[in-house]
Amino acid sequence: MSDLKAVFWLTLKEKRDVALAVLFGFLAGLAGVALLGASGYLISKAALTAQMTTLVVMAASLKLFGFAAAITRYGERLFSHRATFTMLGHLRGNLFERLSPLAPGIFQRYKSGDLLSRIVGDVESLQNFLLRVLYPPIVVGMVLLATVFFTSFYSLPVAIVILGGAVFSVVILPMFFAYRRRNKSHTTRASRGEFAAASAEFLYGFRDLKIHLALDRKSEDLQEQAHRYEQAQQKEGLEENRVQSINALFAFLTSFFVLAIGAYFVSTGELSGLYLAMLVMVSLGAFENTGPLAALPAYFEESRIAARRLEEVVDQSPDNSTGLMKQGLPDITVDDVSYHYPSDGRLALENISFHLPAGSKTAIVGPSGSGKSTLLLLLLKVIEPDGGSVQIGGSMLATTQPESLWQRMNVVLQDNHFFAGTIESNLRIASSEARPEQLQEALELVRLAHLELSAPVLEKGRNLSGGEKQRLAMARAFLKRERLWLLDEPFSSVDGLTAQSIYKELFTRHADDSFVVISHDLAGLEAMDQILVLENGRLIESGTYAELMGRRSYFYGLKKIEEEIFV
Amino acid sequence: MENLKQLAYRQNKRIRLLFLASLTKGLAMIGQALFFVWVADAVFLKAASFEEVLPLLGALLLVILLRAGASYWIGRLGIMLSIEARRNLRRDVIHSYKENPLQASIAGQSGRRIGLLLEAIDETDGFFSKYIPQMIQSYTIPLMLLGVIFYLNWTTGLIILITAPFIPLFMAIVGKRTKQKADEKVEQLASFSGTFLDVLQGLTTLRLFGQAKRQSQLIRDNSLKFRDSTMDVLKSAFLSSLTLEYISMLSIGIVALEIGIRLVVFDNIAFFPAFLVLLLVPDFFNLLKDFGSAFHTARGSISSSELLQAELTKQQEPVKWGSAPVQAPVHLALDGVGFQYGDGFQLSPISIDIRAGATTALIGASGSGKSTLMNIMAGLLPASEGRLLINGIPQQQVSEVAWYQNLSYITQDPYVFSGTIKENIVIGATGQVADGELARAAQKAGIMELVESLPDGFSTLVGEAGRGLSGGEKQRLVLARAFLKKPSLVFFDEPTAGLDLRTEQVLQRAIAELSQEATVITIAHRLHTIQQADRIVVLDGGKISAFGTHEELLVKFEPYRRMIDAQQGGKIHE
Repeated sequence: MSDLKAVFWLTLKEKRDVALAVLFGFLAGLAGVALLGASGYLISKAALTAQMTTLVVMAASLKLFGFAAAITRYGERLFSHRATFTMLGHLRGNLFERLSPLAPGIFQRYKSGDLLSRIVGDVESLQNFLLRVLYPPIVVGMVLLATVFFTSFYSLPVAIVILGGAVFSVVILPMFFAYRRRNKSHTTRASRGEFAAASAEFLYGFRDLKIHLALDRKSEDLQEQAHRYEQAQQKEGLEENRVQSINALFAFLTSFFVLAIGAYFVSTGELSGLYLAMLVMVSLGAFENTGPLAALPAYFEESRIAARRLEEVVDQSPDNSTGLMKQGLPDITVDDVSYHYPSDGRLALENISFHLPAGSKTAIVGPSGSGKSTLLLLLLKVIEPDGGSVQIGGSMLATTQPESLWQRMNVVLQDNHFFAGTIESNLRIASSEARPEQLQEALELVRLAHLELSAPVLEKGRNLSGGEKQRLAMARAFLKRERLWLLDEPFSSVDGLTAQSIYKELFTRHADDSFVVISHDLAGLEAMDQILVLENGRLIESGTYAELMGRRSYFYGLKKIEEEIFV
Repeated sequence: MENLKQLAYRQNKRIRLLFLASLTKGLAMIGQALFFVWVADAVFLKAASFEEVLPLLGALLLVILLRAGASYWIGRLGIMLSIEARRNLRRDVIHSYKENPLQASIAGQSGRRIGLLLEAIDETDGFFSKYIPQMIQSYTIPLMLLGVIFYLNWTTGLIILITAPFIPLFMAIVGKRTKQKADEKVEQLASFSGTFLDVLQGLTTLRLFGQAKRQSQLIRDNSLKFRDSTMDVLKSAFLSSLTLEYISMLSIGIVALEIGIRLVVFDNIAFFPAFLVLLLVPDFFNLLKDFGSAFHTARGSISSSELLQAELTKQQEPVKWGSAPVQAPVHLALDGVGFQYGDGFQLSPISIDIRAGATTALIGASGSGKSTLMNIMAGLLPASEGRLLINGIPQQQVSEVAWYQNLSYITQDPYVFSGTIKENIVIGATGQVADGELARAAQKAGIMELVESLPDGFSTLVGEAGRGLSGGEKQRLVLARAFLKKPSLVFFDEPTAGLDLRTEQVLQRAIAELSQEATVITIAHRLHTIQQADRIVVLDGGKISAFGTHEELLVKFEPYRRMIDAQQGGKIHE
């Protein structure tokens, strides 16, 4: 239960709705019990007498209880769902507040696509917590206790039987099955994961499998994995069916014992026969409510896992460094920095050292996978080096507050997010007080003057082309008006001519600013003060374009190949 | 929905058992009510002793066990039915993927296809495990109950016959209204519910621009708006179940009134049948309501079933093969080979002759048909017209195994399988591979240093579950596969950019070495490769616009010369 503690308290925040839901649920259950009890009593009564009043009372009470049951059930559903959705809102807000200080570093530790959709999915699945885990046993328990109380006026033994049945179906059975489930459900998830991985391998590796005549073998493997997954599902399904059947059996058995004991006491004269039908009907009615409890173990386990996973994600300490950046245009010193990704044993960066003076323009180049973007993440303090140090403007990054650092930079990453809204709302993320002319100027700089500021942007900017998104991200960076620029392949999807002309304008307008540009192509690097060449995590060459070309070494080789390539 | 039904009815033994179990359950339900009323009647009105009703209680216990047993059996049959139906679906889908020749060239859709295999098939579960059993119960049990009710008191039967149809009627009307309401709100709902993911995805951007703090209020606000819109839709759904409940209550009330009148006023019905009827009528209406909710579950399965059906009915002509052996070296000839698939890629009829041992470069802009042509030549795609001749023998008569044993295909983005480095290299080799052979292949492919630097050497796990490889390392791993295989035909899709110098050197050397023994066909992106080729094929818009050697084309094909000029900035003539 400890995994669900946080969700539990968030749910209880909606005291009024939860209380009303429980109240209405209780009333609905009672009305159902009363309906059946009354009909049992009245039909027995009618069998004995020929009074019209019995008939009138019978018809009226059936209507009354029936209507009350339907109406209160409606109220119960309304309030319980309201409470649930409000709780989800709180949960989302809370999660965001705890996740936000961990970003973007946290996305380096998880595959971010996975992480985010998992968070959203887990939050969604917690909507079952109140509806199907927390409050059904409370409501059913209350109804059953009320029934026990009521029946105790007629026959104590019958009341005790109902109490026994209640303890069994509300407490013992759900707990027992929840415990059993805990040890089993991970098999299904594990086999599903394996099946998904095998499917991916089969489809993504299809051509290689076909050519290597391994397709038959692999598709048999895949069938085998599917089979294992289905078997795990089958096991889980059968278990659920078992819970349901045992739950229903207990409800019937309780009513059976009520009848048997009632019949015994009627035959001994200790209970009036008039009440026998009523007591049995009351117990049938009360146990009719226990149906939803059968699904409880499954939902409990699902909620528990979801809550635990959410907690695991945000239960990390954020970067609490308090150091602030100094004023003025900063220089960058990287001293003997190494880094390896947690998932990979080898070093992504190995003993890197360099100095970028304030106001210099630097390009970082190298083949894909050489560590360029990792280096940029280190400069952004998104990741922290295993060894060595980074200083920006004389502040050690290790002790600098990330906000203070980011505040001073214009950053364009490879993957920039655009929110559902307009071009303007997306630009204003950089500067809320910029005048429309300034926004327009930024668009002109990146050659997007044809876009209206009021033009709509769909979520993730999916109505924009890759090149438009990159240029819009650059416009956003431009609007921030800071003097240290970190750009990670900002124009990889923009045609070369446009890219060069934007660079040119940028460098003339901001001749004194510092630029660090990661570039996949080697065109236009003549203008840079320094070029760092990375290969396999090592800084293997650095210098100006002319120096590097003159040295006829690695950079020269890359340049020669680039010249050879047709695209 | 019909497709799913057919799939379910194909397991006719289970369907028959479901009918049998439903009959049993119906009988048990009737028996339960009967013995219950019997006991009550005996001790209450007939003043029977406890010993006298003991056998009745025994019988009641038996039918209760029978009812629980039958319910369990129905549930179990539903699950088994669903598992087997889904297993069959998966088998068919996997089979269709395997036979689909386009699979090799449209890897881009793999994500969607994995979704079909996992989620879409699982979403049909509700139909098989819930809807079908409930439907069969609704076919049998209400009829049995109605029969008994008619037998006990035909007027009650009549009342039910009149009132019961209102349940499905109102279900349909109310369901439609709810759906309308949901449709009205769908856009609103989508936009509110999307905010959370949108903000999460943009968290990096927000943080870098110092804007994250003010977003949590937005998330809360939108969650509340989402709640309110959802509640609007839910309210009408809840109202609909309120209506249904009310209708069934009303019907039960009418029945009770009718029985009461007969019992009290006319005194022409006994306690026994009256009570029995009063117990059976609610069961009858409950079954109708259950069917309604099962129907709702089934609707959720329909869109998945449509997706699956669309996948399974796609017409795909697989590549056909024969049994003729393949002699090295391979001489390839295309005789009017064309290809057409939907509105997608197409290729006008092409005839070329590639003599054994030659190297051929395919060039052209993206979308000009290079990859399609290469896939047809490799036997991965079926030509829609014309003939592919392998050493003069039509491809259809050549043995598939012999063909692929002679062939290596090196792609720009090679796939590394989950397994060891050794497994990844020997995947294409026939028979046992000696350690020396493996090491030689790795040496030639320039991957030996990497292997030696790893503590587990060739046994290092790579791929999904193992260590990541850089683009260059993957490329060299695949080259090692080719060196081990010693192919007589090599298809090579030259990388466009982003490789390290070492891999570049290894690639050039490797292709040169492989081409000494093999016929090589390259989608070329490097001037060097093009210049070295014996024959260059220039493709444009799915047609061959020219072919010849580099020198020939420079002279006779103006676009080629311009292309080279533009690429070299005029250097070629310096």
